[in-house]
Formats: sequence, structure tokens, C-alpha cells
Amino acid sequence: MIRFENVSKTFHEKNHKVHALKPTTFSVEKGSIHGIIGHSGAGKSTLIRLINQLEVHDNGTLEVLEYKDIRKLNKESMRMLRRKIGMIFQHFNLLENKTVLQNVLFPISAFNKPNKKDKQKALDLIKSVGLKGVEHTYPAKLSGGMKQRVGIARALINDPEILLCDEPTSALDVNTTQNILNIIKNIKESRDLTVVFVTHDMNVVKAVCDYVTVMDNGVIVEQGTLDNILFNAKHPITKSLTASIGFNIEAIASNYKESENLLLLRFKKHITHQEILSKIILTHNISINILFANITPSSEGVMLVSIESDDIHQTKKVLKEYGVEIVHDRF
Amino acid sequence: MIAFDNYLQAFNETLYMTVVSTLFVGVFGLILGSLLFTTAQGGLKPNKTIYSTLSIITSIGRSIPFLILIVLLIPLTRIVVGSILGPSAAIPALVIGGTPFYARLVELALFEKGHDLKETSRAFGLNDFKIMIKVLIPESILALIRGLTVTAIALAGYTAIAGAIGAGGLGNLAYLYGYSRNRPLVTWIATVLIVFLILLIQLIGDLTVKKLKKT
Repeated sequence: MIRFENVSKTFHEKNHKVHALKPTTFSVEKGSIHGIIGHSGAGKSTLIRLINQLEVHDNGTLEVLEYKDIRKLNKESMRMLRRKIGMIFQHFNLLENKTVLQNVLFPISAFNKPNKKDKQKALDLIKSVGLKGVEHTYPAKLSGGMKQRVGIARALINDPEILLCDEPTSALDVNTTQNILNIIKNIKESRDLTVVFVTHDMNVVKAVCDYVTVMDNGVIVEQGTLDNILFNAKHPITKSLTASIGFNIEAIASNYKESENLLLLRFKKHITHQEILSKIILTHNISINILFANITPSSEGVMLVSIESDDIHQTKKVLKEYGVEIVHDRF
Repeated sequence: MIAFDNYLQAFNETLYMTVVSTLFVGVFGLILGSLLFTTAQGGLKPNKTIYSTLSIITSIGRSIPFLILIVLLIPLTRIVVGSILGPSAAIPALVIGGTPFYARLVELALFEKGHDLKETSRAFGLNDFKIMIKVLIPESILALIRGLTVTAIALAGYTAIAGAIGAGGLGNLAYLYGYSRNRPLVTWIATVLIVFLILLIQLIGDLTVKKLKKT
């Protein structure tokens, strides 16, 4: 689908070189929402711009869709490739002198006069992002969230296979962000899209992404499934990001150094809906103090507890029998 | 005695010089300004050598005082227009003086949204020429018109300088018939007329912007 092999990019500033992306190998699975997160200047914007060659890499090979080495494409093939990649932006980048409908049609009208079918398709897209009624309005009259929805409809007009999202919610408030994320999730499901999503906000990653790549200083420092990143963060950058949304268990546990029998429990998704704790408390005469708990979008749970029990070993055994995983029992 | 007809003729000459030179400056300035934006750092096709060359020429063109420019251009004017007197003879100097001025305003106007729109258009597969013609110029049209209004007003001012040394128009009237012959009233009437012309240009500019503004 998308495969980077030793791809690197250096910018030449006046007196020094900026290694925006050091030689990087990584790939994006078809049909996933792949989050790329990092602080500003980490290289995530460069990485996403290489995929549709808004930036051209210096070294390495970059395979996108059926094109094995996109740096070698001629102009016409590049245009074909770009038609298969939709993109939305932080500042929406709508054309202010065109109506919503004309904006959505723009990727077509820049080349050919749109026909009836194109117009109908644009109207359907506008409807599907919830903007029915403003087809003939100019962007200046729209709110930020509405503008981004126009951006999404415009990105989809050529039926792309890949959608690139460059900080699409960073200029929006929390509610609007959720709304835009839901739209992206829905269109990904209904159109079998592959989405690459650049953001600096771990909440956004947690809300939509299946896979996460963490970048720092032009290097990928950690990657994995969302659950894996949330629970098993290794790199300090990843840890600080997971901590920002309350998922850095170590940091939380260190606040309870004095507590006895501190356990970190992990609940796989098939048991998170069972009443395990209350059963154990009732049948084994122990008391459990829940210090912290959190759950991922895929229903994986973690819980930090301190347990008062006559026989802690017995308690642990019982927990394991119920399928609860004990990640740490000493901090 | 200066008759009404003399004022009317002078007004018409100034109007003619302003309108014709504004048209030429609009076209040449747009081309030069687009080239400046295209070759500038962050433009469509950055090229240091071409940009520096164009930029230096533009800066020099803008910094030569207009009166000196007219004198410098006398040989060229003689070839192009066939005479160095009358309103038409002022046009080459007005165009050459005004083009660098408007080109800088065009460059600025294109820069305003240039970076984001360049990236977006490229992501849709547009080539640089299409980006300029179909995106950047239409999207910057308000700033371009505001710039052209300012330029036209500057050109109307230049016509008065040209008028004083033989191009005719209100400048000629004010200087030759008003000042030289010590008739302040003539100078005052010429001044009122040129102020009227400038207000008219501003009004046309403002109305056009208002009409094209998409809200």
C-alpha cells in the first residue's frame, strides 16, 4: 500500500542542513487509520507530504499503491497518483472565490468541465458530510468545522484510495474535532480507504487510529497498534504522549508508593464487560481500592488497585483464573 | 482667459494618460509580479538567479525619480511614439515607471495565500501554470484590484509631472498657465479636477472590490 524504504529528506537552510526525515523504513497497512504523532518539528509533516510528493525525498524508495518508486514517475503518472490520494489540511485551504459546490468540484474542474454526473456526485458528497443546504454558499460564511467538511468532500471527489490528513483538527474546538473525526472514521469504513493521519494530539490518535507511529527529530521512535502504544510505551516521547491522556500507568503508580499490594491489572476485551471484581470481593472476602482505571476504544482495560487481603497469593491466583492479567505487582 | 473647453481638454488628456498607462501597467505588472512570485523562495519554481535579477531591475525601476525617468526615456519615446510632446508621449515613461510599482504589489498579493494554495493545488495534480491561472490569480483578485487602484492613483500623479514638461493635461495647465503666468485660480481649479479624478479612481476600485467580494 504505502512502503518507505530508507527514505530520507534534508532541507537546506541558509547556513545549515535540517534532517527533516532521517533514513526511514516503515509501511502503512491497507484499510487502516495510521496515526503519525510527534511534537512540532518531529518530521511528521514531511513524512506525510512525501506520500503525494508535495516534498520529494533525497534517498530511498517510496512505494505507493501500484507505483513501485514514486520519485521516478513522469508528470502524467504523478497526476494519476495524486488523483488517487485525497488530502485535507489544518487550515482547510478552500478557494474563497468559489462556492462550496465549486470547491468540491475543483479537483475535476481544474482539468475538465464537470458533467452532470460529477455535479451529482459532488452534491451527494456534500450531503454525506452533513452540509446539505450550503452548496451555493461561499466559504467565508462557514464555520471552521463546516470548512473542514467541505475539505473532506473535496478530497473524496476523485474516489481516492488513500486519504492524507495533515493536522485536520488542530484549528478546531473539542466538539467540532470529535465531529470531524467521526466523519473520517465513517468514510474510511464505507469506502475502504486507507488513512494517514498526522497530529500532535494523543486524544485524536486514541479516538481514530488503529496504528500509531511516534516520531521525534526526524526518526520513528516507536510504532505499533494503538493498544500496544497505550499500554507498552517504551520511548520517553511516547510515554509523555500517553501520559497526556492518562495512559502512563507507571507515572500514576509512582504516586502511590506507600500503598500496599499495588497491582496493575489488564483486562482483555472479552472480559471487560464482566463483573469480575465484585464477584471476587464477595466470594473471597477481600477489599480492593481502585486507584486508577482507563479503557481504550477497542475495550482493553487497565486498572491500578491496592488490595487488602489475608492471602495475596490466593487473590492473585483467583484474578488470573478470571482471565485478568497482572502486569506489575511491585513498583 | 482660460475657457471651460481648456479645462475639459486638459482633464481629458490626464484621464487618457491615466487610463491607457494603467491598462498597460496592469498587464505588464501582473506578468512581472507573477514572475517575481514564481521564482521567489517559497514560490512555484524558486530560482535565486532569476529572482535576484528581476528583483534588482524592479527596485531600480521604482527608485528612479519620475521626472528623471522621462528625460532618460526621451530617445525611446521618440522611436515608439514618434514625438516627445503630447499625452501619448508620456505613456512609455508612465508604463515603465508604473510597472515595477504594481509588480511588487502583485508579488505581495500572490504571497498572501500562495503557500497553502500552492500545496493544495499540487495535491490535486495541477501544474504550476494552472496553479497560477486557475487558483492564485483568481483567489488574489481583490488584492490585485486594490493594488491596481493604488497604482492608477500614483499614475494620475505622475501625469501631472509629465504634463509640466510637455505632455499636456492638468499638470501642464496648472504649471504653464497657472504658476508661470501667476494665475493661482487656474492652478486651484486644475488641482480640484485632479483630486476629483483620483477620488473617482478610488471609488471605481472600491466598487469593483465590493462587487467581486464573495461572502
